Amino acid sequence: MELTGLNRTDSATAGQGYYSAGQSLRLRRLSSRVSNQNATPHFDWGSSREGGEDGNEEEPQNVRELPMPFGLRKAVRQVQQMRIPVASRRMRQSRALKRFSAEAKNALALVTLWRRAIHQIGGHFGGGVQSYFVFLRFLVVLNFLSFLLIAAFVLIPGIVFHSLDLSSSVPQLPNSTNITGKEECMVYDPNPGALTVFYTYFLDLLSGTGFMEYSYMFYGYYNNTLVVANGFSYNIPLAYLLTASFYFIFCFICIIVRMGGVARVAVTTGGGAARSYSMMVFTGWDYGLQGDRATKLKKNNIRYQLQVDLEEERIKLKTQSQTLLQTVGLYSLRAFLNLVVIGLIIGAFFGITLATRYSQETDKTQNGILDLLLEYLPSIVITASNFVVPFLCDQIALLEKHSPSTTIILALLRAVFLRLVSLGVLLATLWLNITCNSKPDECIPCGYNYGQYQCWETRVGQEMYRLALFDFLTTIAVLILVEFPRRMVVDNCSWKLIKWVGRQEFLVPPNVLGLVYAQTVVWTGTLFCPLLPLVNTIKLIIIFYCKKVTLFHNCRPATKTFRSTSSNIVFFLVLMFGWILATTVLIYSIAELHPSFGCGPFRFSSTMWSTIPNSFQGLSNTTQEFLRYVGSQAFSIPLFIFSCVLLCYVAAVASVYGKSVALLRTQLQLEGRDKQFLVKQIEELTQKLGIPKHDRDPMVLSHGGAPWEQQQDGHS
Amino acid sequence: MATSHASVSSHAKAAHNPKLQDSRCLSPLLEWMKHHIEHQTALETTILKDCTYFTRKEILRLHGRYHELAPHLVPMDYTNEPDVKVPLALIVNMPELKENPFRNRIVESFSEDGMGNLSFNDFVDMFSVLSEMAPRELKAIYAFKIYDFNVDNFLCKEDLEKTLNRLTKEELTPEEVVLVCEKSIEESDLDGDNKLSFADFENMISRAPEFLSTFHIRI
Repeated sequence: MELTGLNRTDSATAGQGYYSAGQSLRLRRLSSRVSNQNATPHFDWGSSREGGEDGNEEEPQNVRELPMPFGLRKAVRQVQQMRIPVASRRMRQSRALKRFSAEAKNALALVTLWRRAIHQIGGHFGGGVQSYFVFLRFLVVLNFLSFLLIAAFVLIPGIVFHSLDLSSSVPQLPNSTNITGKEECMVYDPNPGALTVFYTYFLDLLSGTGFMEYSYMFYGYYNNTLVVANGFSYNIPLAYLLTASFYFIFCFICIIVRMGGVARVAVTTGGGAARSYSMMVFTGWDYGLQGDRATKLKKNNIRYQLQVDLEEERIKLKTQSQTLLQTVGLYSLRAFLNLVVIGLIIGAFFGITLATRYSQETDKTQNGILDLLLEYLPSIVITASNFVVPFLCDQIALLEKHSPSTTIILALLRAVFLRLVSLGVLLATLWLNITCNSKPDECIPCGYNYGQYQCWETRVGQEMYRLALFDFLTTIAVLILVEFPRRMVVDNCSWKLIKWVGRQEFLVPPNVLGLVYAQTVVWTGTLFCPLLPLVNTIKLIIIFYCKKVTLFHNCRPATKTFRSTSSNIVFFLVLMFGWILATTVLIYSIAELHPSFGCGPFRFSSTMWSTIPNSFQGLSNTTQEFLRYVGSQAFSIPLFIFSCVLLCYVAAVASVYGKSVALLRTQLQLEGRDKQFLVKQIEELTQKLGIPKHDRDPMVLSHGGAPWEQQQDGHS
Repeated sequence: MATSHASVSSHAKAAHNPKLQDSRCLSPLLEWMKHHIEHQTALETTILKDCTYFTRKEILRLHGRYHELAPHLVPMDYTNEPDVKVPLALIVNMPELKENPFRNRIVESFSEDGMGNLSFNDFVDMFSVLSEMAPRELKAIYAFKIYDFNVDNFLCKEDLEKTLNRLTKEELTPEEVVLVCEKSIEESDLDGDNKLSFADFENMISRAPEFLSTFHIRI
């Protein structure tokens, strides 16, 4: 082998502790020969000056990425510096571009909210808990951007027009409406009496009535002004409607984009597969952990996780070996328990309906705490059921004997169903009241239940506002009244029972569900309460800091690590489900319900949607033609076909990639076996021919192809 | 650079002795000396800056930390590449490494002699690879070296057993240890030789999304 000859001549010139060029030449030849399967960076000493051509597109090798000892890297760098590069313009451009993108990434990382806090949380409590806080941050940013959108198009014009008190604040009458005989429907008097006790302001803040009712907070304050001045025209009802629609579309796009990123990570890592042992062993330890307690906890955590995984395997083996009778018994038990769970959930819905109806129908004459409680009754019932029913379901799940991962998923699904559908039940009850399902004659004069609701949109907005606020208050109250005392009791009391209960554990699924529920409430309520995203932003920011404090002070690291990659997708799917619910509500309110006569920007339209056809007339002819064409079948059917084709193409490409990955993997395996075979052959041959050992070079091929091959001989 | 050290000290002595030279002639000399030393420092930090993922300021801060480890051994000012190597026992006492179960292996992997004695360049190199700016491939290479206890470029069963014992502070039963090691090798071994080569390891790491964030020491 010629390489050994080269080795001999150069070992004499072996340097002062780093490799001379000849020896490294050997390295280069070696790695290019042996490693088809090693896409590792090897330094090309002999590369030409103009590195731009012959395919060596990438830049003079990045010295930092070379896995060599430092001395060698320094030599490489010196050689690079000596080679005054005749950098082509393309190379210079690409270098500048790379530098710019690196700087931009750095800047973006600095701007990212709470980056350091989340990194700290991930280090101490693992990826699952970190994914909750990442999700929280995503929602904060989403809500803040939505608020900016709403402020720009609805709030600020509203403020400007109100303060300028433009003459066209006379209610605009669309041509086709007939409002004779509907004068009594137009009476709307939300302002409280002039003299009110001070504490009523606080009660009003909590319940959204009183001084808050007729304010920018709620739908009722906005007028249906159409401002035309100096060639500038602004139609507030249209702006309101379009802003609401764009808000929903914007949120949808954000969720889809985010979900795409998360799904990509999950697909590349083969997410969904059981957490593999090798990953646990090699990537389980967090090198950034410091301090005795944290490391002890982490070691316990890893040990527990491994034991749980082994236990799951054992359970799986056991269930496979069950008899038929046992299997049938287990399945029938599970069916019965599912029925019980469904019964509980339906019971909760019934309770919510009753509470809502009672709260809406009783007159709130006396101001005071009792009134406040009455107004908060639906929220209280919903929150109570959200605590009680999942707790009962968890106890029932213990009897069902699923594997731990299935139990978690089932609990999550049940809780999701409960929360979101109970919100839907609340809204349905409200809607039934507004459209007076039970007493049809009350709706005849105005088209909606005027007797109960002078301005029903504001009422709905208030209900959503109260839900959001109550959720926030409950979270804070649980924190203060349950978690901190629990820690104090556990730390200071030495009873065995207390120690067995132990400190709070930060459970990710219920917390995430709380976030999704809050966001769904905000989505359904924004049409009626435009400042709700702002309220939610502030609420989420406060919750972030509170949860962080409670995490570090009161919680112990979870014994069951929550798999973050697959569960991230589940979070976004649940969020999407909430979005769909909110969109249904939006579409129904816009298209079906009659807006109030007394308040709001859609005062005199028959439905909110009718603003759009009316303003359609105001557009120029070409725009009208274009929009008609876009809406017609001649456009939408080809568009649909085209998107189907695109979908099929993308799916085909994805499957091809999957197949090529599988192929490459088998190829890797085969090459490994080839290598072993060749090594064996070489050894046999050399033994047969009697070549002395030190002249052979089997170590070259028998090593694992590691990229930092150091020669075994000729080096001091 | 030893000569320049000597010249600095002699000239400094000369400066203090008013009889020898007029101070007005000396001050430009001292200025040049200071500039020269700063230039050398800048040169060395440039080399380090180009070869690692740290900025100049961070390198100087790291030198402070390196000096703290062995104040009598490491010179205070960072002028040249001295041949000083801090032994393993002092380095693993750093707070960032003290509780790490793999601290010995980490330091040994980055030392040139394999015994854990780090020069300053190796020290910076170590923390550069462990920083958040190092790419995944580079980290995988060094992670492989760290877990390879018997340094044979393969992760065999004994290596895995040692790793596992250090991870769980030996609280798993022997059967569980054997079981976990077997399953780990089974999952990742692609070429079927019952041990993990670097290719197998890298393939497994590429499917672990948390690797980049866990293989990270902030200093």
